[in-house]
Amino acid sequence: MSSAPDDHSLDMLIRKLESIATLSDEERQAIRSLPAKTRVLQPRQDIVRDGDKPSQCCLILDGWAYRYKLIGGGRRQIFSFHVAGDIPDLQSLRLHTMDHSLATLTQATVAFLPHESLRDLTTRFPSLTAILWRDTLIDAAVFREWMTGMGRRDAFERIAHLFCELYLKLQAVGLAQSYRCPLPITQVDLGDALGLSNVHVNRVLQEMRGRGLITLHSGTLVIEAWDELMRACEFDPTYLHLEKRAAA
Amino acid sequence: MTLRLQPVCVRTGSTDAESQLVFEDGSLVAVLTHLSDEYGDEAGMWFLEVGFGPVDDPRSPKFTDLDEAQNWIRRKLTDFSAHGGP
Repeated sequence: MSSAPDDHSLDMLIRKLESIATLSDEERQAIRSLPAKTRVLQPRQDIVRDGDKPSQCCLILDGWAYRYKLIGGGRRQIFSFHVAGDIPDLQSLRLHTMDHSLATLTQATVAFLPHESLRDLTTRFPSLTAILWRDTLIDAAVFREWMTGMGRRDAFERIAHLFCELYLKLQAVGLAQSYRCPLPITQVDLGDALGLSNVHVNRVLQEMRGRGLITLHSGTLVIEAWDELMRACEFDPTYLHLEKRAAA
Repeated sequence: MTLRLQPVCVRTGSTDAESQLVFEDGSLVAVLTHLSDEYGDEAGMWFLEVGFGPVDDPRSPKFTDLDEAQNWIRRKLTDFSAHGGP
């Protein structure tokens, strides 16, 4: 179905962009008037695949998605996890062939935004172009942190760092508070994201629980000792470039 | 090719401490760890804790028993020799 201008599904995008920048009323209205086709997708369903040439971008409205690449022997690298408000394939607006895939992690509601409309929006509002550029720069900053983690952090630090990152990203768009957030990521997913075996992930999670740093139950992560977890992995949230951080 | 196993305790920081050192011709080629009950469906399997040289594998494979693990290790070592390895 197509959204009417009074359908507020695009408010998810506004909320996300407002977590990293300030929008004017006019810019908010322009975003709200984007045409969007909303769909509900099943878990583990590809949204766009490596090699595709999409003509639209995908805005996550509800649920989780992840970017990944498959290489020989069934090996999978997960590049990032995405939640409501993210446009994980925004790059397809300028890079016409996908160099990786995007899939749902959970059941997800997504809105497809035609490239043509997004291009028109960015032509009419250079300030929005700058904000979307800022978003892609932050995306690159997150990649740098993941690279540092995979190259130089041990298993415990990698997982702790990802938990801190996900909590702050979710909190910034109102999806987490009181050091509690949804975490529908399996141990295999965590391993594929962080270059670890699921056995090592399991051991680290046991250690974190044993030290009273976290509890993880039924897809909910509770960070029981935020300061200690941050210290343990030298987490510095500067790279997320969040404009405003709500009280935890 | 004959492999020799030597039981050993590995400090994994977890409950799965029962391991086997795997030797080929006197050289250590792998360490296998027996997965404890913590691992649900995978409990009881043997995990390639570490593999040296051609036995290294980023997929960190798991095996249903030690025979399967040793067959896999032999194959890796044989393939390596067949492709001009030392």
